[in-house]
Amino acid sequence: MVRDVGYAFPPGSFTVTAARAEEFVLALGIGPEEGWVAEAGAPVPPGFLMYVTTYGAHPVHDAMEIDFMKAMYGGADIEEYAPIRVGDVLDVRPVVSSVVTKDGRNGPLTFVELTTDYTTEDGTLAMRERSTTIQKG
Amino acid sequence: MPSFTVGEIAASLRSDPIGRMNIAFMAVAMRDPNPVHVEDDFARQTGMPGVIAHGTFVLGYAGAMLTRAFGVAAVRRWRVDLTAPVFPGDVLDAEAVVQEVGAGELELTLAVRNQQGTVVGRGSATVLR
Repeated sequence: MVRDVGYAFPPGSFTVTAARAEEFVLALGIGPEEGWVAEAGAPVPPGFLMYVTTYGAHPVHDAMEIDFMKAMYGGADIEEYAPIRVGDVLDVRPVVSSVVTKDGRNGPLTFVELTTDYTTEDGTLAMRERSTTIQKG
Repeated sequence: MPSFTVGEIAASLRSDPIGRMNIAFMAVAMRDPNPVHVEDDFARQTGMPGVIAHGTFVLGYAGAMLTRAFGVAAVRRWRVDLTAPVFPGDVLDAEAVVQEVGAGELELTLAVRNQQGTVVGRGSATVLR
């Protein structure tokens, strides 16, 4: 089952386009550095490469049986090993790394953690991201 | 090289008010199909008073604060746990406080607060100095 710890989603590929990076910066209203311009070679804004961006929320959430009505994003823990820039083509591999149920004030809460490795074309592991989704029930 | 002491504020960033247009851009940027960010009726059914901003706003401001203060290549690890919802019109203040000063690295405690002072995200970071 997809919710089982250790389940690996099929590897995906994501090209960091200028348009996608720019949309994120337009949302925030601030770029990662002074004078940042969405063009090839520009650093990817931190927080942009969440698994939902690179993998599509629907396939991952549907597979994990996450109900939008009951779910919320819990946060992320990100390790950066090498710069990721606009124009990079990333190999993206999400794995279910932890599933924990805790007693909340209004019933059980399930914490589903997905660990996603992002590798650049030369085979360098550039980033490892652990994202947590919390679902009631 | 600037010197840092434990307890000092090493970086901070205040957002502009988060408007519904910002939230719309985030929904597009994230390709996020969750209606809780764009449809008030749906959001109310989940128990919220109306639409909520994406958690990536909290992460994004914390991250931009770090890269603007220390440089994009200096951020080695950062973690943000979301602790309260963010609503349209909110202004967020991100702050990084020095927790530990290492030989080449700084350990930071991160907090993101809304205009009422409620902590909406907290975490930690390791940056090269």
